[in-house]
Amino acid sequence: MTSVPKQFTPTRQVPKQGLAEKIRRAVPNNIPLEFGETKTDVDVRLKPEHLLEVVRVLKEHRDLAFDFLRNMAGVDMQEQGLHLKIHLYSFKHNHTVQLTVECPPEEDHPHVPSLTSLYRAADWHEREAAEMFGFIFDGHPNLKNLLLEEDLHIHPLLKAHPLQEPEILQGIEEGPPGFPF
Amino acid sequence: MTELQFGEPWFGIPWLDAVLRILIVVGVMTFTVIYLTYGERKVVARFQMRLGPMRTGPYGIFQGIADALKLLVKEDVRPRAADRWVFEFAPYATFIPVFLVLLVLPFARDWGVRNLSLGLFYVFAILGLNIVGILMAGLGSGNKYALLGGVRAAAQMISYEIPLVVSLLAVAMVAGTLDLNQIALNQADRPYVLLQPLAFVIFFTAMLSELHRAPFDIPVAESEIVGGYFVEYSGIRWSMFQLAEYASLWAFSIFGSVVFLGGWAFPMGDTWPWPWQLFLTFVKSLGFILVVMWVRATMPRLRIDQLMNFCWKVLIEVSFALLIVNGLFLYYGWPHELLALVNWAGAIALLAFIGARGARKARVSQYVGLYRREGVTAP
Amino acid sequence: MTIWPEEAIVRHRGETEFDFDTVDMTVNVGPQHPATHGVFRMLLTVDGEVVVDCEPYIGYLHRGLEKLSENADYRQAMGWWDRTDYLAGLNCEGAWCMAVEKLAGIEVPERAEYIRVIMMELSRINSHFMFFGAFGADVGSFGTSFTYAWRERERIYDLFEEVAGDRMFPTYFRIGGVTMDLPENFEARCRWLLGSIRQGLEDLDGLLTGNEVFVERCRGLSPVTPEQAINWGLTGPLLRATGIPWDIRKVEPYSIYDRLKFEIPVGTQGDVFDRWMVRLAEAYQSTKIIEQCLDEMPKKGLVLNPNLPKTLRIDSGEVYFRTEGTKGEYSVYLMARGGNKPYRAKLRSPSFCNLSALREMVIGNYVADAIIILGSLDIVLGEVDK
Repeated sequence: MTSVPKQFTPTRQVPKQGLAEKIRRAVPNNIPLEFGETKTDVDVRLKPEHLLEVVRVLKEHRDLAFDFLRNMAGVDMQEQGLHLKIHLYSFKHNHTVQLTVECPPEEDHPHVPSLTSLYRAADWHEREAAEMFGFIFDGHPNLKNLLLEEDLHIHPLLKAHPLQEPEILQGIEEGPPGFPF
Repeated sequence: MTELQFGEPWFGIPWLDAVLRILIVVGVMTFTVIYLTYGERKVVARFQMRLGPMRTGPYGIFQGIADALKLLVKEDVRPRAADRWVFEFAPYATFIPVFLVLLVLPFARDWGVRNLSLGLFYVFAILGLNIVGILMAGLGSGNKYALLGGVRAAAQMISYEIPLVVSLLAVAMVAGTLDLNQIALNQADRPYVLLQPLAFVIFFTAMLSELHRAPFDIPVAESEIVGGYFVEYSGIRWSMFQLAEYASLWAFSIFGSVVFLGGWAFPMGDTWPWPWQLFLTFVKSLGFILVVMWVRATMPRLRIDQLMNFCWKVLIEVSFALLIVNGLFLYYGWPHELLALVNWAGAIALLAFIGARGARKARVSQYVGLYRREGVTAP
Repeated sequence: MTIWPEEAIVRHRGETEFDFDTVDMTVNVGPQHPATHGVFRMLLTVDGEVVVDCEPYIGYLHRGLEKLSENADYRQAMGWWDRTDYLAGLNCEGAWCMAVEKLAGIEVPERAEYIRVIMMELSRINSHFMFFGAFGADVGSFGTSFTYAWRERERIYDLFEEVAGDRMFPTYFRIGGVTMDLPENFEARCRWLLGSIRQGLEDLDGLLTGNEVFVERCRGLSPVTPEQAINWGLTGPLLRATGIPWDIRKVEPYSIYDRLKFEIPVGTQGDVFDRWMVRLAEAYQSTKIIEQCLDEMPKKGLVLNPNLPKTLRIDSGEVYFRTEGTKGEYSVYLMARGGNKPYRAKLRSPSFCNLSALREMVIGNYVADAIIILGSLDIVLGEVDK
């Protein structure tokens, strides 16, 4: 394990120069990656089957050293399928990268490898993404509902799921809920 | 050894005299307990920068009576998983020993129910019966939290009985008697707290533990298991537990002031009349109670294993050493002043040891600089 | 007399010299409990007094923040975001507003930046005082620390009410600045308040820090190494207590924090006592920040960007805006795809990530310590459950 630095040089929250080249050089060439930029970070797009290997390279490579999992967010990109945004941070070099895992649009419940073997912090993030969007994380030790009730199998953050009246969507009630006056 | 009786029996009839005295003691105890609940709320509130009860009566003085009335009219709830007879008898089993203790305490030279020549032994023998009541409450409630609380309480109380008893025995050795009234009379010129301060410190600590008060209130840890052994009780049964707690606080305070502070006898001895003696008893026990409440409002609580460590590794050794030292001094007839000096040294050493444990573990000064001086980050 | 329902019994062989079966008891530190700060449930499996397993259940306060934000305007959604970390609402408002401003490229006038920093630091002090009070009550000092802390909190709330109109959730910030300028006597009142806060910190320090019982309870309890903290995803005072001087206000500065001089207090072992001390020192550093802002603030100026469009439409873009919330890294991930509503708004809340490490911290300690460790994490359920 690399030692944790005691000094950090401050950086503004903008995409870091040169990070994309370093990542492209570090990751083996048979893995296709596409690079972009958000307003704050470098964005790397990849397919779910390459995720575990790429993250392992990112974590263990000397120049990258992404040892901290910051955030995992699912996004429902409707026609383009479900995307999973992962933000990683390196304490050694003080840079952040955003990974976008693009799952194929045909699958309702795409399979994504779980990062819990690399980062313990991924545990709850994956549980939340799984219950909100319908991801299935292979290798997760305990993929139960976290924020919703234990036996509820809906995925509320999908765009197809309406904001109101889920009882109608699930076929439980006939009309809008309320007092039956 | 003849015992110092509490004067002639009233009306010449012993049993009538006993009944009247018991009734008076019960009345005074009830009134005192009700006002102790009110007093505790006011005292703790003042420590917490707030006012406490202010609305029921001027300055809230009827709060205690209001609480007692409310508890009396509440519904009596008994959980189905509870063992009926154990559950129902437990509050009384907790309260009766406390009441029995009150029967031997001397409030003034002629004022008490009955004086026993084995008064000291009687007091701590009977107080040990409290534990049975608490265990009954914990086991009989059918609730895991109650069980946790009851078992913790039993372990704690049994452990702290030992330093309590041994420190009191040390004082009994110096006094030469077990008769409570005689012990008080012996202190007419100087109280035993000056001769045996180490015994006083040990007694005070063990007393806090017997009463389940902070910092030893783990059985009733409100922020964790919300009530411990009396969590399933409501209404009048719960009020019996509270009555037992405050009555034992009062009983211990009077007992402690009799044995250590001179009770009714110091400073004027037998010469001034009984109102003055009653007043002295009142003031000294009130001082005790205030210090106990002060400690409660300030100190966090110890964990059960730290509590037990403190008892078995510190207090018992010190109290046995005290007993042996006292014995040596009294057997060989060495001067009492030297005994007092040794005791003071021991008391200061014990308090310093307790204080140093805290500071040494924290090295607080390392952090204090963080926000008192400029620009310091710890290494 | 049956006390144990059969399904709650887990049998395992006790490792003692005698071979006998012991029964592990499950203790439910349930949603209704004075010690869990909010509706949070912990299922502890206890062997005697030692915790063998701990399973946290959250979601009792799940209000659907992210779904609601997708269906509301950028400006309307702010009203929900300050209710996430409800003890420091203005911090959350600040995070949302700054994230949207970064996404849309909106400038904020300088006076508004200073006002924002003052308000955010006051909420940070507010939240830390709540921690001092509640943690003291957890350790058992019967509420004395509570009332000491509440006196200062009430004064801060009074100041918020005077400036913004509401105590807890003032929705004072706007995208592009703040709503209205500060009242005239603000500076004098704020300086008096800072003195009172410092006195309150001294009082709390004197009450608990040197107290032998407090130190016995907290020192050496659940120490965390820096590598463990990084792997578990801890941020905020928990990470700084392990010894890493990482504070987003210094490492990835936003707003005007790069102009302000303040220190980052760190601990050594990462145990509960270090977390207490780090928060105590941080509250003091926040008072220094506020003083600097009051000294350097432009005396006159706009407080709201004058060129804002009537409806804020953003065509595309993503932003992951990091701020230092009171409990750790409070970050907002926003994606825009046209229209005046965010396409995806995700809250990375510090309490959620800190709480996921609870299990590792609690196992092997006593039940009484489990409550204290939970208190030292300083979670707020609004953030955890979104």
